[in-house]
Amino acid sequence: MSDNPMKPYLGRLAEVKDLGTEIKLFRVEMLNGGNEAFCNCKPGQFAFVSAFGLGEAPFGIANTPEHGPYIDFAINRLGSVTTGLHELGEGDIVGVRGPLGNWFPMDDFKGKNLVILGGGIGGAPLRPVIQHVLDHRGDYGKLTILWAARHPSLLVFTDEYEDWRKSPDTGLHLTVDASDPTWDRNVGLITDLLKKVNPSPENAVSITCGPPIMIHYVTRLLGEMGFAPQNNYVTLEARMHCGLGKCGRCNLGEKLICVDGPVFNMEEVGHLLETFL
Amino acid sequence: MYEPKIVAFLCTWCSYTGADTAGIARLKSPANLRAIRVPCSGRVSSELVMRAFNQGADGVLVLGCHIGECHYDTGNHRAAKRIPTLKALMTFAGLEPERLHLDWVSASEGERFSRITTEFVNAVRSLGPISWRVAPERVLTLGRGLASAEPVPYLESDCAGKTDAIRAKAKELLASGEVSCVIGYEVGSRGRTHPAFIYHDNDVERLVWNPDCTHNLTTYLPDKVSVSGALMAAHRKSSPKPVAVVVKPCDARAVNVMLAENRFPREKVHVIGVTCEGVRTEDGNLQTRCMTCEERTPVVYDTLIGEAPATFVHHPSSIVAENITTLEAASPAERMEYWLSQFDRCIRCYACRQACPMCECPTCLFERDDSLWVGLGIGVNQKRTFHLGRAYHLAGRCVGCDQCEQACPMDIPISLLNQRLAQEIEKSFGHRAGMQAISSPVVTVLAGEYKEG
Amino acid sequence: MSTSQTINKTWLISQEALENWLDSLAKARSLIAPRDVDGVLLYRPVENSNQIKWGFTRPVLSAKEVFFPSTERLLKIEKTNQHVTLLETLPEGQTVIFGLRPCDARGLQALDALFIKHTPTDPYYARRRENTAIIGLACKEMGPTCFCTSVGGAPDDSDGMDVMLYETEDSYLVRAMTEKGLALIPQTEWPLTEEVPAPAKMDAPLYSLPQQNSWPAHFNANYWEHVSERCLSCRVCAYVCPTCRCFVIRDESLTAPGQFERIRCWDSCNGANYRRIAGGHRPRSEKGERLRNRFYCKFYYYAEQYDLGEETSACTGCGRCVDSCPVNIDITEVLTELGRLA
Repeated sequence: MSDNPMKPYLGRLAEVKDLGTEIKLFRVEMLNGGNEAFCNCKPGQFAFVSAFGLGEAPFGIANTPEHGPYIDFAINRLGSVTTGLHELGEGDIVGVRGPLGNWFPMDDFKGKNLVILGGGIGGAPLRPVIQHVLDHRGDYGKLTILWAARHPSLLVFTDEYEDWRKSPDTGLHLTVDASDPTWDRNVGLITDLLKKVNPSPENAVSITCGPPIMIHYVTRLLGEMGFAPQNNYVTLEARMHCGLGKCGRCNLGEKLICVDGPVFNMEEVGHLLETFL
Repeated sequence: MYEPKIVAFLCTWCSYTGADTAGIARLKSPANLRAIRVPCSGRVSSELVMRAFNQGADGVLVLGCHIGECHYDTGNHRAAKRIPTLKALMTFAGLEPERLHLDWVSASEGERFSRITTEFVNAVRSLGPISWRVAPERVLTLGRGLASAEPVPYLESDCAGKTDAIRAKAKELLASGEVSCVIGYEVGSRGRTHPAFIYHDNDVERLVWNPDCTHNLTTYLPDKVSVSGALMAAHRKSSPKPVAVVVKPCDARAVNVMLAENRFPREKVHVIGVTCEGVRTEDGNLQTRCMTCEERTPVVYDTLIGEAPATFVHHPSSIVAENITTLEAASPAERMEYWLSQFDRCIRCYACRQACPMCECPTCLFERDDSLWVGLGIGVNQKRTFHLGRAYHLAGRCVGCDQCEQACPMDIPISLLNQRLAQEIEKSFGHRAGMQAISSPVVTVLAGEYKEG
Repeated sequence: MSTSQTINKTWLISQEALENWLDSLAKARSLIAPRDVDGVLLYRPVENSNQIKWGFTRPVLSAKEVFFPSTERLLKIEKTNQHVTLLETLPEGQTVIFGLRPCDARGLQALDALFIKHTPTDPYYARRRENTAIIGLACKEMGPTCFCTSVGGAPDDSDGMDVMLYETEDSYLVRAMTEKGLALIPQTEWPLTEEVPAPAKMDAPLYSLPQQNSWPAHFNANYWEHVSERCLSCRVCAYVCPTCRCFVIRDESLTAPGQFERIRCWDSCNGANYRRIAGGHRPRSEKGERLRNRFYCKFYYYAEQYDLGEETSACTGCGRCVDSCPVNIDITEVLTELGRLA
């Protein structure tokens, strides 16, 4: 972090590519000392990306430093900051403030089976987890990835699915709510897919990221399937402004999503999630 | 040599083409105009005009089709009503009236375009550069003090009788199941009167009528009568039954405005109207708005509580009327100085807006995430835009309940703006908000003859 | 309540000497004191002691606006197509506040725990705190809506002050509480005294706060629906509160092309769109949920998140919210009811 935690590093957009309908991948090359700040960032952390002149918003960091040298952000165009970002192109300057928040306890997951559930753009903060596991495949057990979206055009990182599938003891299962003629795989909610795939809770942890309603139903189903709350991890998002635990906006009960999270396990926050919906 | 910057809103069908006609005929038009083409002069909203001034325009010109020739039939009717209303408000806030002008130019009237724009630019040039946008570092001097009318003692009224009658009616309505809730007043901590929500007929003893029943309870109606009306998701319960509300005459007018704006069906509300001789301030005097109140009996009710007062004491020289007169007599610069010093205290808490039954936009125009019409900052320019913009949005809708000013922690004389506009609406359109369930004239078409010029 | 650090000397000065002292301080620094602004008592800059509204009680807004202004520029941004320059705009200048009441000083300590002690330190708030000296004035008695004694404070508490003044019948007793305060005092000019300040009258009712660990149990109580029914979400309670500090950050354009400023402004969790995200999801969409959140933050979450020392709540008992709520939602009533629920 820079001396002034409110002042972002500058970054140049090295690459901007389409990931899906209204979703783009922004590859940021850090300038003016930002590299040092981000070279140790861990899966689960986030950063504020500034569209200068409009504002900044928090986004999950979508890659590990080993998959650098850029910092990846997968951004869905929804509001004024994201629209401003979508209007930028390669070579343009953005601000990056971070890395912020806590991270997935990848060391604690060693030797365990991982069930990863990503819904829509919620797949973005899970990608560095997958990258880390695939890079250290021997350290982890079975990897089961459930990837969902409302529509095939909203599935993210489709060009990486082959690599994920090729990895030993790894399963990738996809589903969409509504299909189109190009789609020949599962159709239905991620909860239906989860029932169908039916991963064993034995020596397993789950990681879920997606819209709040999805987190609610998926974590409930995982509980019914025998996953203990302390083994169910979620990464949450909320409207944030400072990301430093000052402005008070992102509270989940007595916890602040920006500093106590965004990674939580359900034992910590299960009882608080009703206020999040 | 100073050349004014003019923003000209030109309607695409008539005046913009009229500008072209002037150009083709090689007629001289001033180069000061920054033309903005709009589909219709009716599109020119108060936000556009204020933003133009905030960005540094010295003058704003709005040109539309002649009345009767609008491409959209009656679009220019809106401009015909709105721009003069906005002008009255902005002039009251310190703008020189010559800086905002509305006129009509058809597509073929190149000469007229040239003449009108030349006259306008000359008028604005003679005023010099506008000082509307205040430099952030400028320290404001205190505004000139305004005259205050003598406080008027509060008149005694039959509170005990009205309390009994309200309780009886509430009991009847709740016990019979005719309504699910009665919104009234009760006395709470520290002896203060506040809104009460009664759901059971054995709870009606909480209801009171007293000189401190100042709140406008109609503000709770839309949420209460909507199907999902509940305060906590966990306690969500639908309210298919009507709701009863206790209203004073001013509040009853608010019911009419809400009905005109389709905020709830008439049959969903049982109006318990109470005749009123006024409510009092904390010092025990008659409230300002009550001094000039014309209605002592609610204009709409299902149940009437109390008798119309036998003696009707009217105080024509209320503090509001005097202050308006004083301000109108001052120069534009003095008026501007007064209002800026009042807005300087504003902290943009939006209590005025929240207390107002008429302010109901799910996302307030002045609190947008993209700062479209006004920035987020709590600087004097932004605050003035918010207050003038909000007052303008209430033109023909504000019933003068004064809850905005009462909620304001900084004692900003917000009601003065609303009262001035109400005067303007009454003068121009013969309309007083809420006397009947009809819309504000600012949103409807012209009724009858319109005289240009 | 922690013991104050005194530097073991007390001076006795007249009203005139006080005014002369303030006038001399105003020459080298910005002096902020309670001032009548068109009939509203506020902490505002004064050029000399004549502009102070003597006999003042409690200004409508707390002193938090001196350190955490309602609008503040964080950065200036200059942008061309492929080039961006950021300029930090940290506050400069020395300030003295005169006339701070103990409840407001308590408020500053709660804000210190958040902005300074909780890392990373906020440089804007920290710089203002560093550059400001505080001259407090003890209250002789409590006002009708005051309840500082219920939250661990007292009307004559000198915690957080650099210099503390106590009114006597016709003069003031002055104590330096910190080195910063001592440096302001013209020691050679003022006579020392053995006199001790009389204790303040503390006869206001005492409200017992619910036990710290009982708050989670009340979360789903029906009471929140009942008390919030009349709430207008007007947010005045948060804006007048000495410790509410929610803020929003946004970029706004300046008049010159390509120039922007990143500003932060006050906000409040009571606003309907406070937690709305771009996709439309809006937690705490019901006003009862928002009102509940504000009470929980003040009395439970704040102490869990930030190091308040022995204190369990961020409430200073100043009573401003009681005075300013348009619908008479009374914090003391809420606390009493919750205590009863336990």
